[in-house]
Amino acid sequence: MSYAYLFKYIIIGDTGVGKSCLLLQFTDKRFQPVHDLTIGVEFGARMITIENKPIKLQIWDTAGQESFRSITRSYYRGAAGALLVYDITRRETFNHLASWLEDARQHANANMTVMLIGNKCDLSHRRAVSTEEGEQFAKEHGLIFMEASAKTAQNVEEAFISTAEKIYKKIQDGVIDISNESYGIKIGHETHTTSSGGRDGTSSQAGSCCS
Amino acid sequence: MEKRRVIDDYEPGPVPPQKPLDRFGFIKQDASSTPEGLAKSRLIVEYEREAIRVRKWRKMIGVGGNDWKHYARRKPHVVKRRIRKGIPDCLRGLVWQLISGSRDLLLLNPGVYEQLVIYETSASELDIIRDISRTFPSHVFFQQRHGPGQRSLYNVLKAYSVFDRDVGYVQGMGFLAGLLLLYMSEEDAFWLLVALLKGAIHAPMEGLYQVGLPLVQQYLFQFEQLVREHLPKLGAHFSHEMINPSMYASQWFITVFSYSLPFPLALRIWDVFLYEGVKIVFKVGLALLKYCHNDLLRCSSD
Repeated sequence: MSYAYLFKYIIIGDTGVGKSCLLLQFTDKRFQPVHDLTIGVEFGARMITIENKPIKLQIWDTAGQESFRSITRSYYRGAAGALLVYDITRRETFNHLASWLEDARQHANANMTVMLIGNKCDLSHRRAVSTEEGEQFAKEHGLIFMEASAKTAQNVEEAFISTAEKIYKKIQDGVIDISNESYGIKIGHETHTTSSGGRDGTSSQAGSCCS
Repeated sequence: MEKRRVIDDYEPGPVPPQKPLDRFGFIKQDASSTPEGLAKSRLIVEYEREAIRVRKWRKMIGVGGNDWKHYARRKPHVVKRRIRKGIPDCLRGLVWQLISGSRDLLLLNPGVYEQLVIYETSASELDIIRDISRTFPSHVFFQQRHGPGQRSLYNVLKAYSVFDRDVGYVQGMGFLAGLLLLYMSEEDAFWLLVALLKGAIHAPMEGLYQVGLPLVQQYLFQFEQLVREHLPKLGAHFSHEMINPSMYASQWFITVFSYSLPFPLALRIWDVFLYEGVKIVFKVGLALLKYCHNDLLRCSSD
């Protein structure tokens, strides 16, 4: 599949907040309530379209437990975007955001776009973090923010795509030097322009290195 | 399209085992893969071969494993060969305990496991509970919420996290414990975990789970060198594509292949791994890369 740009993403956040489920919902449009724990790192990929340009998102899904940070840290380098996820029903996952951000700031390039996601917003009856608090945290740290649900798919597309739009804008504005691959962006060989102006993905794949 | 089930929470309730299971208790992904016709005669041959093998093995280990040590000392080459051919499934649990040295630990420490499970509390309890339903979720034994499988898994992991508070509980340990629990009792599984992590026979593996996962880092570094040495083309391709072993091999080491390989294959690897040690993880890893060598060379990282 040809693309104009490839953006690398990394999904981070505490264990059990729904990182793998968000990825699966985005790449396969399904929710799997019963799934294996993520050990180390997993991959997913999907094509999207921004301003008629086909863009491939290559997404790295990481293990959330503290012990694994020594491994996941190496993936920050070379990521253009990060989805930082917490669980709105578990306060402690919100409280740990600062330490995740610090990790990201230390190991990622300064231009990495970070999207803060409050996941599991379908479980509002068990909410432990208000939307305002999420907004406030995002504002303080210069992040984009959304509440989403991997279960109902609410805002999942939007989260991945608006991150891409932000990265795309940075490229347009010349903020990011795309010739430097450590920024997590690759220029593709665009052989055709897509005809539709929709934002919907054109194809999806997950868990495979061969396309 | 798969219909979304209506479930109050992310975790499933009890699921009746109505779906067909394979011989190891995993839910069959594809019912049509049931061997039929031609394959049946092959199954009979395999069944007979297995029966002969079981007789040989029984003779070798003796009643309750009494002759094992003697035999293993006298004829290590026979033992090694037989283990590489695969331990008969009905004797696997017992033989694993013999070759890992865990049986001795169990006999030396009567009552210790019970003490750890019943009287001690662990700082990792919530972490363990969160992961229980995400460990072998497609196996009938572990499927049922709060069922016997999940309870045993919890007990073993909690006991270990108390037994070694420096390590506590780290994600990935559940797959080791889960695999063992399919072949032995909780207490036996616990002591086998201890034998592996503390190094009863082979080098201790606890470094795989200590803060910073130091042994994982070391093994990944060594594995990368081995790839360059044994599969130079692939090694060069990986460096060019900026692929390093932490991207594909962390889970191989952390779970000794119990996480993602087809279960029968994982069992055969465990047979050999328990007898010959961690070098088997390296060997199998290299073999896997070699097996996919040409396909991998054609892939680019995007």
